Amino acid sequence: MSIERTTRRGFFGRMMDGVQGAALASLALADAARASSGTYDLSPKKPHFDGKAKAVIHLFMNGGPSQVDLFDPKPALVKHAGSAPSRDIVNQIEFADQIGVMMPSPFGFKRYGKCGMEMTELMPHLGTVVDEIAFIRSMYGEHFNHEPSLYLMHSGRTLPGRPSLGAWVTYGLGSVNQNLPAYVVLDDPKGLPINLTQNWQSGWLPPIFQGTRFRSEGLPLLNLKPPEELPSPLVEAQRDLLRSLDEAHRARRPGVGELDARIASYELAARMQMAATDALDLSKESDATREMYGLNEEATQSYGRRCLMARRLVERGVRFVQIFIEGQIWDNHSDLEKSLKYSCAKTDRPIAALIRDLKQRGLLDSTLLLWGGEFGRMPISQIRAGGTAGRDHGPGGFTTWMAGGGVKGGVVHGATDEIGHKAVQDRVSVHDFHATMLHCLGLRFRDLAFTRHSLQERLTDQYPARVVNEILV
Amino acid sequence: MQTLGLMAFVCAAALLPAADYPAAVATVMKSNCAGCHSGAKAQAGLDLSTSERALQGGKTGPAFKPGSAEGSLLVAKIVAGSMPPGRKLPPEQIAAIRKWIDDEKPTRAGVTEADVVPLFQMRCVTCHGKRVQEGGLDLRTQASRLKGGKSGPGLVPGKPEESLILKRIQAGEMPPPKKLFEAFVRPPSSDEVETLKAWITAGAPPAPVVPPVEDTFTETERSWWSFQAPVRPAVPVLGRYGTAVRNPIDSFVLAKLEAKGLGYAAEAGRLALMRRAYLDLTGLLPTVAQVRAYEADTRADAYERLVDELLGSAAYAERWARIWLDSAGYADSEGIIHEDRLRPQAWRYRDAVVRAMERDEPYDRFLTAQIAGDEVADFRKNRAPAQADIDLVASTGFLRIVPDGTYSPANGSVAERMNVIADEIEVIGSTVLGLTVGCARCHNHKYDPIRQRDYYRLSAILQASYDPYDWVKPTERNLDFALAEERAAAEKHNAPIDAEIKKLEKLLEAQPKEDEKAKPEVDRLTRAIADQKAKLKPKPEIRALYDMGGEPSPVFLLKRGEAQQLGERLDPQVPAVLHGAGLQAYKPQPPYEGTSGRRLAFARWLTQPQHPLTARVMVNRLWKHHFGRGIVETVSNFGKTGSLPSHPELLDWLATEFVQQGWSLKKMHRLMMTSTAYRQAAIASAEAQAADPENRLLSRMPLRRMDAEQLHDSMLLATGRLSRERFGPAVPVETRPGGEVVEKASKDQWRRAIYLLQRRTTPVTMLEAFDLPPMSPNCSERPHSTVSTQALEMRNSPVVTEHARYLAGRLLDEYGNDTARMVEDTYLRTLSRRPSAEETARAVQAVERLEREWRQHLEEQKATAPHAITARWHAVGDFVHAMLSSAEFIYVD
Repeated sequence: MSIERTTRRGFFGRMMDGVQGAALASLALADAARASSGTYDLSPKKPHFDGKAKAVIHLFMNGGPSQVDLFDPKPALVKHAGSAPSRDIVNQIEFADQIGVMMPSPFGFKRYGKCGMEMTELMPHLGTVVDEIAFIRSMYGEHFNHEPSLYLMHSGRTLPGRPSLGAWVTYGLGSVNQNLPAYVVLDDPKGLPINLTQNWQSGWLPPIFQGTRFRSEGLPLLNLKPPEELPSPLVEAQRDLLRSLDEAHRARRPGVGELDARIASYELAARMQMAATDALDLSKESDATREMYGLNEEATQSYGRRCLMARRLVERGVRFVQIFIEGQIWDNHSDLEKSLKYSCAKTDRPIAALIRDLKQRGLLDSTLLLWGGEFGRMPISQIRAGGTAGRDHGPGGFTTWMAGGGVKGGVVHGATDEIGHKAVQDRVSVHDFHATMLHCLGLRFRDLAFTRHSLQERLTDQYPARVVNEILV
Repeated sequence: MQTLGLMAFVCAAALLPAADYPAAVATVMKSNCAGCHSGAKAQAGLDLSTSERALQGGKTGPAFKPGSAEGSLLVAKIVAGSMPPGRKLPPEQIAAIRKWIDDEKPTRAGVTEADVVPLFQMRCVTCHGKRVQEGGLDLRTQASRLKGGKSGPGLVPGKPEESLILKRIQAGEMPPPKKLFEAFVRPPSSDEVETLKAWITAGAPPAPVVPPVEDTFTETERSWWSFQAPVRPAVPVLGRYGTAVRNPIDSFVLAKLEAKGLGYAAEAGRLALMRRAYLDLTGLLPTVAQVRAYEADTRADAYERLVDELLGSAAYAERWARIWLDSAGYADSEGIIHEDRLRPQAWRYRDAVVRAMERDEPYDRFLTAQIAGDEVADFRKNRAPAQADIDLVASTGFLRIVPDGTYSPANGSVAERMNVIADEIEVIGSTVLGLTVGCARCHNHKYDPIRQRDYYRLSAILQASYDPYDWVKPTERNLDFALAEERAAAEKHNAPIDAEIKKLEKLLEAQPKEDEKAKPEVDRLTRAIADQKAKLKPKPEIRALYDMGGEPSPVFLLKRGEAQQLGERLDPQVPAVLHGAGLQAYKPQPPYEGTSGRRLAFARWLTQPQHPLTARVMVNRLWKHHFGRGIVETVSNFGKTGSLPSHPELLDWLATEFVQQGWSLKKMHRLMMTSTAYRQAAIASAEAQAADPENRLLSRMPLRRMDAEQLHDSMLLATGRLSRERFGPAVPVETRPGGEVVEKASKDQWRRAIYLLQRRTTPVTMLEAFDLPPMSPNCSERPHSTVSTQALEMRNSPVVTEHARYLAGRLLDEYGNDTARMVEDTYLRTLSRRPSAEETARAVQAVERLEREWRQHLEEQKATAPHAITARWHAVGDFVHAMLSSAEFIYVD
C-alpha cells in the first residue's frame, strides 16, 4: 500500500470527493500542499517523512480501564490495603463523597509471552500476542470527568469543537481508496459513546475529514440506499434524469470546478453503495477467521465483528478506523469484580485475533493499533450505595498500549508510583501520545497544521509534546 | 471600591536573601539558562539567576514547583527539548535538576498573601464569600479573615496553632467532605497547606507592592490599519466604465478592475437576478406567484422595488437573524456534557434578534442590547414589561449562548467557569471586534498588539455578571421577566396541574414505607406525578446575562491562563492599543443602582461613530454574505494574521456610510444590492479568469451553493409544505430508526430551519450534511463542502422523497394528465424560471419512462393499490425529486 502521489489516470479511475471549487485536475496534482490554497480533498498526500504506519485502528476503551487491575501490577496495594488515602489523592477525586480505602486488585497477574509481561489473568488471549505490544504505563490526563477527558483523548483539548485524531490524520494523508470514506467509525449498536458523534468530528477542519459512522448491523451508512429497494431499470431511469439535468447545467457554466466536483460526488455516492457493503460483508470470511474473532460466541461476537470489519477496511486502504464500545463498560464505579470480568471477556479474544490476523496478512507492520480509555482508575475503592466496591476515575496515571505500525513489541514504558496512582517515571501526556501516533504515520506534530483565524492550529495545540521514541522500532 | 487584603498596598516585608542553587544545578543553570534569563531584560520576564527568582517566575508562572520535578515548567521545557533552544541537555544534568526539586523542595523565603490567595479563591470563597458567608465567615480579605466568624478570628498572625482556618483545613473538616462534590470544591493539596502554614507563621505578611505596569506599544503596532478610524475617502472618478456606475460601490470596484484592464461581467438574466435577491435577502426561493408577478412588472425600477419589498418581508428578518445567530453561536442546549441539557428559554433570544432585524434596529443600538441590554434601563423596576422591554434584556442572550457545562458538579470547577468566559470573549472578539483576543489568554498575543493584560481586563468587564468565584449555574441564571398575559396564561395552565401534583404527592407520602405490597401503588403515583409535571408549562423566563450586583471578585491575570496561577490584579478596560485612537475612554458608571455599568460602558465605547473596528467589521460581514467574500476575507480577524482588505477605500467608505445612515442594515443591503457589481452574471470571461482568477476584484458574481437553511427552507417552499408560522419555542427533532435526525413536523407544518431545535448533539441530518457548523463557540465563516454524503442525503433520504411525492400529489390534482404543465410548474417552483421547449420535451419523456418502469415494478410486486395511479404519482415524484437534487436548484447564479 503506497501513499505516494497516485498516477493521474489511476486517480481519475477512482474519482474523488472534493471541496470548494476543486477542479479535478488541480486535485490530481495535490500532494503535501496541505492547507495552502483553501482547497481540500481526500487524495493521497505524502507524509513528512517515511513512516512505518499507513493506517490506524483506534480501539477506544470507553469509561477508563483500571490500570492497577489490568496492566500495572502493584503489590504495594496489598501492603496498604484498607488504609485511608492521602490528601493528594482525595484532592483529585470526582465523587468526593464516596471515598473508600486502598484496594488491591481482586484479580491475579500472570507473566505472558517471550517478554514475560506481567498482566491480568483476565486477558489470556491478549497474553498470547503480548510480544507485539508496547505498554505505556505512565500516561496522565488533565481532568477527572468523562466528557473533558474524551475530548482531550480524541482532539487534544478538554473542550469540544476541535478536530479529532482521525480528522487530523486524513487531513494530513488523505486516503488511497476513494470509494470508501477515509475515516470510518464503528460504533457499538448498543449505543453511542459519551460525547456522541463529537468524538469523530472534524471541528474546524473541512467536513470531508469528519469520521463516517459505519454501522455494524444493517445498512452500514445512513441513506446509503434509497428507502425502498428498486429494480435497476427504474434506478437507471432516475439517475439518467438527474444526470441529464446536471450535465446541461454544467455545460452552460464552463470552467466552474465546483460543478465537476459535485457531479463526481454523486457518482462516488453510487459507487460507495457497492464498496461499503462489500467491505463490511463478513460472510466472505473463512470459518476459521470468524472463529478466531469470536463471532460464534455471544460474549465476543459484537466486538469481534467490529474488529474484523476494521481489518477489512484497513485492507481496502481506509486510513483511520475507530472502534467504540457499548456505553461505559470500563467505568467500574461499583462491582469492580463483576464488571471488569465482563469487559475483558467481551474484548480480549477479538483484539488478540485482530493483532494475529493483521500479522499473518503482513499488515501489522503498516497498521498502528492504539488501545486505551480516557483515563485510568484510582488505587482506592469507591463505595457507592447498592453495590460492591468499585474504583473512581483516575487521570493521574494510567496505561495505554500501541502495537504494529513501527512500534516495538513486548516492551513497557514509564511507571506509576508505588500504588499506581500517579505517573512518575517517563511520564507520557496525551499530547505525547498523539505526537507519537503522528510520528508512526510519518507526520511531524509541529508541522501538521491548519490555518484558522489566520493562526496555525495543531493536534497538539501549543502544548509541549514529545514523540515517545523509546517504544518505536 | 472595596479594598481587598491583597491590594492593601503596604510596604512589603523585606525578602530574605535568596536561597541559591546547589553546586551541580548552579553550573547547569549558569551555562545554559542565565544567558537569556537574567537581569532586567530577562526573556519572558523569567530570571533564572537564583532559585529565589526562578521560583518567583516569569510571565508563565514559577519555573518550578517545590517537591515536584514532574510538575515543574522548567523540567517540562527541558525534557521536551524546547529549552534551551536548539540544544538538548545531557540526562545527568536533567537528573540533577530533578533531584534538587524533588528532594530539597527549595521554597521561597518570603511567603506572602499573594501565595495563599489562590487557596482562598479556589477552595473557600464559594461558601465564605460574597453571597454566602457560612458561619458568618468571609475569607475574601485580610481584614475579614482576621475578624473571623461565629467561632472566632480566622487566623492569628504568627500563631498557626491558634489559627482556625489552618486547623480546620488540617483536620480535614474544611472544605467539608460532604459538600465537596456539590460545591465543586476540592481540598487543598499538601503543598498549599504547607504554604498557608508558612504564611501564618511568618506573621501573615501582605503581598509585596508591585507598581502597576502599563503595556507600551511601538508606533508600528499602533499604526496598524484597522486601529485607525475610517476616514471617508473620495469616490474615484472613472474613465471608460463610468456608465456602469450606479452608486459609489461601483466606482470603487471598477477603479480596481480598470487598473487591470478589466470591467464588469454582463448583467445577470432578469430572473436569475431575482432568484439571487430572494435567496440573499430572505433565504427562500420566490413562489410561482412571485416569479410571475416579477415577470409581469415591466417598470424600469422593478428590481429596486423588489429589493425594497424583500427588505420589508418577515422572511428577511428570519434570514438575517440566522446569520447573526451564527456569529453569536446560537444553540438550544448547553453542550459539554453528554446529557447536552436543553435550554428551554434560548428561543426568546432568537426571537428578539428576529424582531430587531425586522424593525431594522440601528446596529449601534442592536449591539448595545446584545452586550448590555440589562443595563440600559432598570428592568427590575418594570412591573409590566412590554415585548420591547423583554427583548432588550433577552438580547443579552448573545453572551449566554456558548457551550456551558458548569451546571454539573463534575464540570463546574473555577477553571471550567473561566472557559465559559473565555468563549464569550472569543464571541465578542470574532464577531464585534474582529480581533483574535482569545490568543492573549495565556500569553501576550504573538502577532497583534493585544497583551495578556488586555484579555483579563476584557474578562473583568464580564466579571460583574460572570464571576468565576461566585458562580451561578447556567440552568439557574434566568430572569423572571415576561409579558403579564404570558405569565398569567402559564399560571392558569399550571394551577390545576400543580394542585393535582400536590394531591398525588400527599397520597404518595401516605404510603407505608418499605412495604412490598405498597410498591405497585407507589410506582403508579410516582409515574402519575411525573406525567403531571411533564404537562406543566415552563415559567416564561429569559436566559439573559445580568449584573449580579455588589462588588464582583477581583480579576487576576492568570499566568499561562491557569486558574491557580494568579498574577497581578486588573480592572475592567478595553484593549490598551485602542486607547486614544480618537475614542472616548472606557469609563464604567452604574446606570442605575444594583448594576456596575461595566458592559454598558463597553457597548458605548464600541458604538462610537469613529470606532475603528465596529462599523468596518459589520459592513464587511454584510458584504461577505452578498458577494461571497469579505473585503477583508478573514471576517473575524482584522489583525496582522488576517488578510488585508482587497478594497480598503471601499471598506472605509462603506463603514462611514453605515454610520451616516444611522447604522441601518437595510440601507446597506439596498446599497450593495442595487449596485451594478451585484447585478453581474456569475460567468467569468476568459480575461477575467486570467487576470482575476480568485475573483478578488469582483469581475463577476460567484456561483454559490445554497447553505443548509436556504436548501432546507427552499425545498419546503418549492414543494408547498413550508409553514410561515413565526417565533416561539423550538420545533423538536427526532431520530428516525435509520439514524436520520428530522424535525417533528406537527400536522404537516414544516417550519423554517431557524425555528428547529438546535441541540448540539442531534443536529438535523439534512442541515448538518450541508455544512451547518458545530458552534464552538460560534461560527464566523461556515465551511463549504461538496461531498458524497450530500448526494446520499438528497437522493436517498426518505424525507426528501416524502417532500417530492407530496408535491407530485398536488401536481396531479391540479394538472391531471397534462405532464407538460406539471413540468412547467415544477420548473417555476424549483428553478424560478420556465423550461425551454426542449427541456419540457425531455422532462415529459423522462416522466413517461419512469411511469413505465414504475408500472412494471408495481405489477411485479403485486402491489394492492391501483398500479396506474401509483406509477404516475411515483414517476412525477421522481421528477420533482430530480429537480430538487439538481445542481441548478442548489446553485445560485
